[in-house]
Amino acid sequence: MMRMKNNMHALKRNLTGYLFISPQLLFFMVFLVYPIFEGIRLSLYKINYGNMTFIGFDNYKALFQDEVFIKSAVNTVVFVICIVALTVVFALFVASAIFDKNAKYVSFIRGSYYIPVMVSMVVMSMIWSFLLNPSNGLIPFLARQMELPVVNFLGDKDLVLPVIIFVTFATNVGQAIILYIAAMIGVPRDIFEAAEVDGASRIRVIFKILIPLVKPTTIYIIIINIINVLKIFVVIQLLTGGGPNNASTTLMYFLYNNAFKYNQLGIASSVGVIMFAIAMVLSIPQLRAMFKTN
Amino acid sequence: MERKKYEKSLRIKEDYTLKKLGLALFSIVLLLSLLTACGNDDKEADKGKTDGKDTVEISLWLTPQWKGVIDSSEEGADFDSFFKYAAEKFSEQYDKHDVKVNVEVIAGDQRDEMLNVNLNGGTPPDIFFESVFAMGDYAHRGALAPLNDIVDDEAKQDIEQSFWDTVTFGEDIYFYPFSHMPGTLVYNADMFKAAGLEKYVGSADAIQTWTLDEYETILKELKANTPEDKYSNAYPMGLYALNNQGDTWNLAYLRMFGSPFFDDEGNIVLADEKGTKAAAWLKDMYDEGLTNPGAESVSSNDVNAMFQNQQLGVSFTNSVLYNNIKADMASGNVPEFDARLANIPSESGDPLSFTYVTGASIFDTGDKTRMEVSKDFVKFFSSDPELVKASKNGVPVRKSVVEEFKGENPLFAAYEANSQYMFSFTGNVPGYNELRQVLYPELQALYTGEKSPEEAVKDYQKKGNNVIEKAKEDSVIYNK
Repeated sequence: MMRMKNNMHALKRNLTGYLFISPQLLFFMVFLVYPIFEGIRLSLYKINYGNMTFIGFDNYKALFQDEVFIKSAVNTVVFVICIVALTVVFALFVASAIFDKNAKYVSFIRGSYYIPVMVSMVVMSMIWSFLLNPSNGLIPFLARQMELPVVNFLGDKDLVLPVIIFVTFATNVGQAIILYIAAMIGVPRDIFEAAEVDGASRIRVIFKILIPLVKPTTIYIIIINIINVLKIFVVIQLLTGGGPNNASTTLMYFLYNNAFKYNQLGIASSVGVIMFAIAMVLSIPQLRAMFKTN
Repeated sequence: MERKKYEKSLRIKEDYTLKKLGLALFSIVLLLSLLTACGNDDKEADKGKTDGKDTVEISLWLTPQWKGVIDSSEEGADFDSFFKYAAEKFSEQYDKHDVKVNVEVIAGDQRDEMLNVNLNGGTPPDIFFESVFAMGDYAHRGALAPLNDIVDDEAKQDIEQSFWDTVTFGEDIYFYPFSHMPGTLVYNADMFKAAGLEKYVGSADAIQTWTLDEYETILKELKANTPEDKYSNAYPMGLYALNNQGDTWNLAYLRMFGSPFFDDEGNIVLADEKGTKAAAWLKDMYDEGLTNPGAESVSSNDVNAMFQNQQLGVSFTNSVLYNNIKADMASGNVPEFDARLANIPSESGDPLSFTYVTGASIFDTGDKTRMEVSKDFVKFFSSDPELVKASKNGVPVRKSVVEEFKGENPLFAAYEANSQYMFSFTGNVPGYNELRQVLYPELQALYTGEKSPEEAVKDYQKKGNNVIEKAKEDSVIYNK
């Protein structure tokens, strides 16, 4: 009884706060939560112009029999794993190498890695397309001029994934470097001094002190990158069009084609739900680790 | 005393909290009412009354076609000029209602997004003016209304039957043909001459027809004899398969050895000897270096740019692209050279000819008045003697207009002569938009050597027929 009274009292006391966040909450519910549930509902329907038929899990069944979907899912997972791993490892390497150097030098490195992040992905894709186009691109042209063997980076099914991974990684890594440098600069200096007194090498300092202490940043970078890479689309649309022979298609590209080109809204919604599930599964361990630390 | 003071301050605090609570609630109510006000249907505003006649408001969407009413040299010429002028002229003489036409130009690559979103939201445009091949799926989905009742005998006489076949789905006509845009090949006559191929160069006002053997000779000679110093980094033929853009030429190449492509039931029948031979021919040309390299990751845009940069001997074009190349040369945007037209050759010797018919369609909005007015308007601008002259911006579908402008544009007669070789590249099958997505991955697999020509055409046929079969189930035309 007493506890209920306390709860009521707490609610009354915090009511104003709740009311203040309610407009934001309302928008959150209408524009984020409702579409998620609507997407799940639509994935159970066959949607044709003017009528909707409930078909249960048929859209999902059709998806798992579609080899392009399977390829898209595999490619997306490959992209997520490779790009996230590359980003974390490279950003850690760069940040730990420079974080304690001269401030101007740190700013220069930070700036040069961050410029590609500011350039639109569309522009980056067009520049890469200009460089790699097998018929009139710069790299094949130079290779021909120098009589070197010409490789079609975008048209070889074994090379196209590494190329996209590299392009996306090169565009994204600046963000992670900035976050790591900020986190590393925030690590108290006395810990490093103590390690120095104990005679620890730099490698040991990085692995035993720096990396464990920036763990929350690592988790944040992993989650943000997983979500970003899951949605990879522009670079595919502009650079390879999913080719050659669907070798570089991704879930988001597959979803876009179904929703806006073939008007298969039911199928597209099912892909959306599956992507949501993948994002959840991939993020949960990270989120749990984050809450545990906190 | 202290206690009383404390209780008073508590009461003031509570009053204050209540006031804030009231204010916050008021804000929420205001916000909600605003949101609901936004969602209110304003369709009722479409109909009003002036001068005893109802005012009917209809919407017309189009993708960019030509600028100006009749000619792009008019002052203030824009993509919507023609329809704005037509609407004005129509409402002056229309006696059933006062009509207001809202004309909106939408980007071609946003067409399907815009239409799908608006169809699902129940707000499609009343009229859509666009290439028929891009709109066929909407007829199959039951989103369009048949136009049989506005096509009269005079129109049937003036417009060739092949155009009516293109706009007929099942038994009904869904588009009123206005103009068309024939697809052909274009070649660099200067490069031909530089490679010693003068005898294959045709007249500038004609569409040259080569046999398949002649065409192969041309490509080989171009490869062997094009002077490097004048045309560096140049290739004989443009070939591309990055995406579905410009895929109609690829579809034409696949018919080179006589494949009918579709059977009478609207299924793909490419996986036979003729289809395989055509795919093998493409692969051979590619492997022998008679085309640009990396066709699997080159787009039609790239190929077109390469032709303009004189890096290709033969490329693809249509009447609008060809005019644009000429205009770019005239304005000095690209270096000037002699670009002429040729037909896509075939083994039989007959050229392979196709065209993109452009015309208006009407969406079945369920509003009888608006649909009736829309039909009257479509009939008006598609048959009014003054307005149909605008079709000269493409190639006119009406013989009467071709006759009138033959002197101005001698190619009109050449295009008309080609119409006997015309094939319907869509076959008017349902699911054509999705079908387009199936072809280029197979061509990519063919060029990269992942699949043999037999496998590529077989897999295309299998996947394509699956798309068609699925779309047939949903097609109102097949399920009548």
